[in-house]
Amino acid sequence: MLTEYTFWFLSFLAVFSAFAVILSRNPVHSVLYLILTFFSIAGHYFLLNAQFLAAVHIIVYAGAIMVLFLYVVMMLNLNQAEPQRTSAWAKFLGAGAAGILMLVMIAVIRKAEQGTPAGLPVNAGTVENLGITLYRDFLLPFELASVLFLGAMVGAVYLSKKEIT
Amino acid sequence: MKELLIVSLAGIAVLAADVIKFRKAVLPIAVASLFSLIFFCIVDWGRNENPMDNNMLLFDNFALGFTAILTFISLCWFLITTEYFGNDARRTDLYALTLFSICGAVLMVSYTNLVMLFLGIEILSIPLYVLAASKKGDRLSNEAGFKYFFLGSLASAILLFGIAMVYGATGSFDLGIISTASTAMSSPTPLLNAGIVMIFAGFAFKVSAAPFHFWAPDVYQGSPTPVTAFMATVVKGAAFAAMFRLFSGTFGSFIETYGDVIAIISALTLIIANIVAAVQTNVKRLLAYSSISHAGFMLGAILSAQNGDPKILLYYILTYGIASLTSFIVLYHVSAYQQGAEDFNAFKGLVKRNPVLAGAMTLAVLSMAGIPPLSGFLAKYFVISSVLQSGYLWLVIIMILTSVVGAYYYLRIIIAMFTPLENSGRIVVSDFQKYLFLLLSLLMVGLFFAAAIPDWLY
Amino acid sequence: MDPILYTILLCVIVFGISLGAAAYMTWGERKLAAVLQDRVGPSRAGPFGLLQPIADGIKMIFKEEMIPTHSNRWLFVLGPCFFMLTACMTSVVIPWGSGLTINDTFYRMQVTDINIGLLYLLGVVSIGVYGIMIGGWASNNKYSLLGALRASSQMISYEVAMGLSLIALVMTTGTLQLGEIVRQQDGGFANVVYQPLGFLIFLICAFAETNRAPFDLPETESELVGGFHTEYSSMKLGFFLFAEYINMFISSAVMATLYFGGYNFPFQHELGLEGNALAIVQSLVFMLKISGFIFLFMWIRWTLPRFRYDQLMNLGWKILLPLALANIFITGLVMFFSGKLG
Repeated sequence: MLTEYTFWFLSFLAVFSAFAVILSRNPVHSVLYLILTFFSIAGHYFLLNAQFLAAVHIIVYAGAIMVLFLYVVMMLNLNQAEPQRTSAWAKFLGAGAAGILMLVMIAVIRKAEQGTPAGLPVNAGTVENLGITLYRDFLLPFELASVLFLGAMVGAVYLSKKEIT
Repeated sequence: MKELLIVSLAGIAVLAADVIKFRKAVLPIAVASLFSLIFFCIVDWGRNENPMDNNMLLFDNFALGFTAILTFISLCWFLITTEYFGNDARRTDLYALTLFSICGAVLMVSYTNLVMLFLGIEILSIPLYVLAASKKGDRLSNEAGFKYFFLGSLASAILLFGIAMVYGATGSFDLGIISTASTAMSSPTPLLNAGIVMIFAGFAFKVSAAPFHFWAPDVYQGSPTPVTAFMATVVKGAAFAAMFRLFSGTFGSFIETYGDVIAIISALTLIIANIVAAVQTNVKRLLAYSSISHAGFMLGAILSAQNGDPKILLYYILTYGIASLTSFIVLYHVSAYQQGAEDFNAFKGLVKRNPVLAGAMTLAVLSMAGIPPLSGFLAKYFVISSVLQSGYLWLVIIMILTSVVGAYYYLRIIIAMFTPLENSGRIVVSDFQKYLFLLLSLLMVGLFFAAAIPDWLY
Repeated sequence: MDPILYTILLCVIVFGISLGAAAYMTWGERKLAAVLQDRVGPSRAGPFGLLQPIADGIKMIFKEEMIPTHSNRWLFVLGPCFFMLTACMTSVVIPWGSGLTINDTFYRMQVTDINIGLLYLLGVVSIGVYGIMIGGWASNNKYSLLGALRASSQMISYEVAMGLSLIALVMTTGTLQLGEIVRQQDGGFANVVYQPLGFLIFLICAFAETNRAPFDLPETESELVGGFHTEYSSMKLGFFLFAEYINMFISSAVMATLYFGGYNFPFQHELGLEGNALAIVQSLVFMLKISGFIFLFMWIRWTLPRFRYDQLMNLGWKILLPLALANIFITGLVMFFSGKLG
């Protein structure tokens, strides 16, 4: 019962703050609402018994990435977003496309089979089980992710370092 | 597996060489690693290793073949762009990024697990975002990198969402299990359906098929020309190979459901790209649109994927890759000699100014237009005949009509090159590059005859 | 007692202890500073000035409250509240003692022993910076903003090394549960023996995370007026200052828990004490360990000069981060060759 109430509360919070992210005029408020969204999603992970994911979600997204976002927004001092000259057509089409996507999603998920996939234990999200899955079944992708990060790191350093001429 | 190791370790070795101030070794390391990659592809050919690492990768003949040709194109790219990269510090970074990108391409042709597919796409794309913006002082280059990054990450997100839905519908990331699960269904469940459509949309973005192509002209034009050449050849080839692997085997049983979608997108791509290309005045932008139109043709090869013959796609990627690489690099040399001018006038009198460049460009452009006896003709012919076999006559008609439009704008480049121009200086390229251009030209003709001989490739 | 009620009660007690300790840490700090500088320190309010924290608190509350005109009111208030909240949140996973048995009912002395305790700790530490950032930005003052930016980049930088030093600890202990980590140190050596380098890195990072000297760049009075709390007054300023002491208290507790055996002490089972008596002695020992670390915090503050900002960044990224990685590597090697890998 408590779980269900928590679920509805978190869902409401997530949707509300996600809307607030795009509707806020002030970029700093947007970032703060985005952090709130991340928190409510982390709460959902907890409800799904995926504790590791929830904790890492907060540490990485709310604790590191969003701090950098906030840092940049504050440093550039984007106090008030400039009024964007989006044509009414673009807005209309964008809203239409997103609306259709939402309808499709609702239809798809309504018809989807409920339940956990076969062979997946209920406590699959605990640190122990996640570690076993990650380091046994998905070892190769896990290691290859390091190539991805190395590439991203080299790229970031390349773009930000001063040209020595 | 060793293919993957070679190329990722080469990227790290390049970085290490720079750390120990041995910058001269950078290019040899890259070239040697790519050579050994091709060598191992040939050695392993036909061995059909079992899937390894919990069904993550499978280096079958499909993977080896695509790895080999993508590596070959990258190898040519490395050798022919030495002039652009020069010998300064940024060369190391850019070479390392390119090698990582190739590593992603190898993953994308050999994956048997959707996780690996996503990783491959990201490993391929993220270095490219940086490469697109690598001309740091140039506004257009910055815009290209930014645009590519934003839209590319959106496409990746959509693809990832699609993968998640496929997982929800089938309970696995493994292509074999997904295939078994989806063959068991008479028609795809809504969840699987939505997943496949989203994966397809993500791919359509990566290969710049209409209506997901809007980023391509700006990014191709803004990026440094050698980077554009890499994007138009290796990246596009890898994306199509990955698409083929997914849509021929795993979702092959649903080809009736998606055939029309792919056909319509292919037709749209062909029509939009060719018509818009015909009115371009900037050659680089024109080549970008031409690259989009070739994506339309390659989608035709995906359409007939249930026949299960990747050779058509392989041949198309190889011939198109060679022609496209040649045309972009010639464009680079031409515009580098006239303060970055990229319009038709820049090409005036190229025959006199550098016959080798002009000859290679003519052949490349004719090959892309599909004029016999050049390999591009056969590539288009194979695609058209296989699309015809799949029963899409209307698509074939569109392909032929748009090829005629294509011939018009390709000929405009040739006409510009043969227009005499007074007081024009010669364009000098090194002897080594000259031989490379000759080799590429020879390949464009040679591949035609190689493929035309029956019972050897076909 | 009802478990939920007991948990709430325990929370209140733990928060109370944290707040009380923080209050008397201000007194302790001033006394210690006085001793180090050959002064007397607070001496008027009560014996040895012991009532000074209470007087300070009353003064803070009754001061005039000011919210700058061009500030963002809502966020201006949220900043210190959030900072205080995150400062207190960490205390719930720390085992304050082994637990009491009264009338055959076991009362634990740890609010919750979640099995991702260490990650929870890192998570709370990582969001702690928001209070400073929100407050600094909402003040609409460039000194505040600069202080906030400094704080955020400093905390992000040192969080990385902190997390990595904890990973090496997790490798040796094999658990993320703080209660379990403490129980493992019962009888054997404390973790600091196995992880000396990890402890050193964690210690330095703890100084940086709590914005204590020599890492107090977010509030350098000589260049940034008051740093992120320049515009704050009354109890909102009090919250910022107070939360810093709570942070210090909690990070001392964390270090004592993770690396110095928590509430365990050598030869505790040979004392002849049993049950509740032992538990109470253990809790007192734990407090003693915490006091030791707090003393270290204060000692360093009144001894060492402040870092320059580039030195701070270099230390974080170019020294501590590689050291932490090397520590993980060495730990892995030692575990591999000593056959401790399962």
